[in-house]
Parts: sequence; C-alpha cells; structure tokens
Amino acid sequence: MSPNNMARIKRFTPLQRIFHVLLMAAFLAQGATGLARMYIETPWGKKLSWVFGGYESALTIHKYVGIFMVCGFLLHVLYLVAAIDWRRFPSSLFGPDSLLPHGRDIKHFFLHFGWFLGINKAPQFDRWGYWEKFDYWAVFWGMVIMGSTGLLLAYPLAASRLMPGWGLNVAFWIHRIEAILAMAHVFLIHFFIAHLRRHNFPMDRAMFEGSADLDDTRHERPSWIARLDKAGTLDSVLVPEAKVYRRVLFYLLGYTAVALGFFLLIGGLVNSPYITW
Amino acid sequence: MNRFICSTTSALGIIAALLLFPEITYSAEEVASALRRYKEREVSTGYYEEYEVLPRHQRPMVGVPGVQRGIFPYSPSAARVRIRTRLADSHQGIKFYKRRRCEDCHVKETKDIHTIRANLTCRQCHGGEPIASIEHYYSSMNPIRRHAAVCSKCHEGASASFASYVVHTPNPAMAATKKTFPVLFYAFWIMVGVAVGTFVVFLPHTALWGIRELFAAKEKTTSEPKQHG
Repeated sequence: MSPNNMARIKRFTPLQRIFHVLLMAAFLAQGATGLARMYIETPWGKKLSWVFGGYESALTIHKYVGIFMVCGFLLHVLYLVAAIDWRRFPSSLFGPDSLLPHGRDIKHFFLHFGWFLGINKAPQFDRWGYWEKFDYWAVFWGMVIMGSTGLLLAYPLAASRLMPGWGLNVAFWIHRIEAILAMAHVFLIHFFIAHLRRHNFPMDRAMFEGSADLDDTRHERPSWIARLDKAGTLDSVLVPEAKVYRRVLFYLLGYTAVALGFFLLIGGLVNSPYITW
Repeated sequence: MNRFICSTTSALGIIAALLLFPEITYSAEEVASALRRYKEREVSTGYYEEYEVLPRHQRPMVGVPGVQRGIFPYSPSAARVRIRTRLADSHQGIKFYKRRRCEDCHVKETKDIHTIRANLTCRQCHGGEPIASIEHYYSSMNPIRRHAAVCSKCHEGASASFASYVVHTPNPAMAATKKTFPVLFYAFWIMVGVAVGTFVVFLPHTALWGIRELFAAKEKTTSEPKQHG
C-alpha cells in the first residue's frame, strides 16, 4: 500500500482480536453442528454431521463449544467492567469511543441512507459506525439468548426443576430462530460489509491486524481522525503494516470463514423445504 | 356314508379350531406398522435397498389438503363428540382398528423430534394394546406417573415437570397454537418479528450501500479529512 511506515491507525487491541477470532471459530462450529442436527433428515445434513462424528457427537461438540462461548461471554463482561473509563463515568459511556448506542447513530443511519440515494453528503462517522454498534449489540444479546436457552436445553432435567418442562418447547424454538437470525445476519450482512463492498473489497483486515489504513479511515471516519488531530494524539495511535506472512494468514482466516459461512447459508436455504420443522 | 362322516368331522374340527384357538391379534404386536418395523430393521442392520435411499422429500404419497386418506375415514365430528380421554382402551369401537396403523389417523403426531430424529416408534412410549386414554387412572401416560413410567426409560431422573415437555409440539406458527400453547405461539412470533425486522432494515440498507460505493471513487493519499461521494 503506502510506502509510509506508519500508515495504519490502531483500531483493536490484541485481546479484542483474540476474542474475535475465538468467537468466529466457535460461532462457525456452533452453526455447523447445529445445522448438522437440524438437517439430519437430508443428505446434506447427514454429510455435515459425518464431519462431527454423527448425530450424537455433533450434539456433544455443540454443548462443549456452547459452554466455551458462555465462559467467553462472561469473561467479556468482566473485560467490559475493566475497560470502562470509570474516572469520567458516566459521560465516558456516551462519548464517541463507546459502543453504546447514541442519538447521533440514528441520525447517521438516515443520513447514510440519504447518501446511498444521493440526497445528501455522507455522514461524518466517528470511531464506531452505527452498523458496527448494531453488530456488537446483536452478538451481545444473541449470546444472552442463545446461552440461556442453550443451557436450559443442554441440562433439561435441571432446567425443569427451575421451570415447567414445557418451557423447553419454548426454549427450543427461541434457540432455533435466534440461531437462524444470527447466521443469516453474519453470513449475509456482516460478510458483505466487511468483504464485498467496494471500500473493503477483498477484505477489511482491521479486526485481525488490529489496525486500519489511515487514508481509508480518514476517508470513511473523518470525525474520528479530526478528533485525534485536534487532541494531538493521532501520531501515538499510528502503527506500521503487518508483515506479508501475517497478512496472508489474515486473508486465509477471513476467507475460510466466508467459505464456511456461505456453505452453511446456501445448504441451509436449499434444504430448508425438506426438513420437518 | 363314511365319506359323509369324515367330511362332517373335519368341518366340525375346523369350526372347533376356529372357536377354541385364540384370535389372531394383529394390534397386540409391539410394532404394529410394517413401515415402522422396516425402518427399525434398516436402522439396526444398516442395510438399505437401492430404491429406498431416495432423498427424504420424494414422498410417494401425495396428500390433498383437507381430504383424509383411507377407505373408511373416521369421522372427525364423531371424534369430537365422543370423549376418549378416560377410556381403558382409547381406540375402543373404532372400525377396522386391527388393520390400521397409528399414523393413518395420528398424522401430525409422527412429525416430532422423538419420532423423526430419535426414530422412536409410537409404542415405545404409548405401550402395547390396549392403549389406555392418557387420563385413565391406570394409564402409564397419566401425568401422575408419566415421568416415571415413560420418560425415564430414556431420560433418567425425569420429573413430573420434565414430563410436561410437549412431545407432539404443535406448529408454533399456527393460529390454533394460540389457544393450545400461547407461550410458544407468542415467543415464536416475537422472535420471527425480531428476525424479519432486522432483515427488512439491513438487507436493503446493505444492498444500497454496496451499489452506492460502486459509484464513489475510492479517494487516496490526501492529508485533509474528506467525504466520500
């Protein structure tokens, strides 16, 4: 890209990147094992479950990975408590570095739509766009819903001590619909935004590399750069580009996830009329 | 004369045999349906005929909505009138019962996870003939002992609460479920509403974004903040 050594701006910490990669791997494993069981009536589902050692062991893997994700989520909540700027609390929660939804996100959403249709100029995004905040909170509440219903279904005897057994019927359907929603959202919308749109094509490496191209960021998130310029801290968050072998690794990781996601999405859609819902 | 005695004796013998020997009990079999028995054999041996391994969705029977199959369809109105929930034999008085299969009448009841995925047969839970009504006092399916007599055969330690799981789950999308299982109905539609809402907003949003960026030249190497588009 640019010959400048410090051409990229730091966007994610190593811990955040590790959590994203773990979440990616666990999400795909849960998607694949869950769909393998849901589609066991179809040849596609049978092949998919074969990868995990069959119908029964697919569930065993699904449960262990699920517990792993719940633990990861709890650790993330602890991380949040540590990451909040308590000295400027609570105003820090509503600042531009916070992922909490804000009134200006709704404004940006409509302005962005206006820009799509050529009605107005593009909104001045800060560090986090409204779509990124939406993705974050979608995963956050998704984890709560999937984790709680999943634990109820994984331990039905214990669960039916806490609630009537017919609650498991309800938990099953909530788990299923939320899973379909989550997979469709990630495999269609998240992948499109991070890979296919022209600004990011072929891939936005920021979540793997931890940094984004400074010029591109200046272009897409002018408010953020202007804010850092004004505070005089821009130079302190500039980093060099990652080495070639690492970039290759990031592309491999990203495209493996995209390939698996599309495989699950297309297989799921094509075979959906042939299963007993 | 001899021949007459001989043939009379044989005829009487056949009549006596018919009267004395126990009746052939078709329905008392553990597995009444040939289809189920076949399914079990296939599962246990892993041996399938070539013509049997077509994809599942190619069903040989084509159903007509609202029209019940069978030569003597059991009148749905009569079933509603007759209270069958407290009988020692819930199928008492049904014509040609012995020759029929469970799923001839209980079509929907064969489409649940226990049947489809765990390959359970009806009788593994409901037991052999006569199948008592679930509210008959001595029925193994009576909620007072269902968990211990039925569920715990597989789900060790099943409680009465656990047994209130609805095995034959109604279709959560249907209006009828609003009356029979309202929590499931509302949970389903709320979740579907959330999912549909997300895609109604984000699918057009993302598609338009993708198209718009095709028109916007990717600006490069400038030092001052710029807007795209």
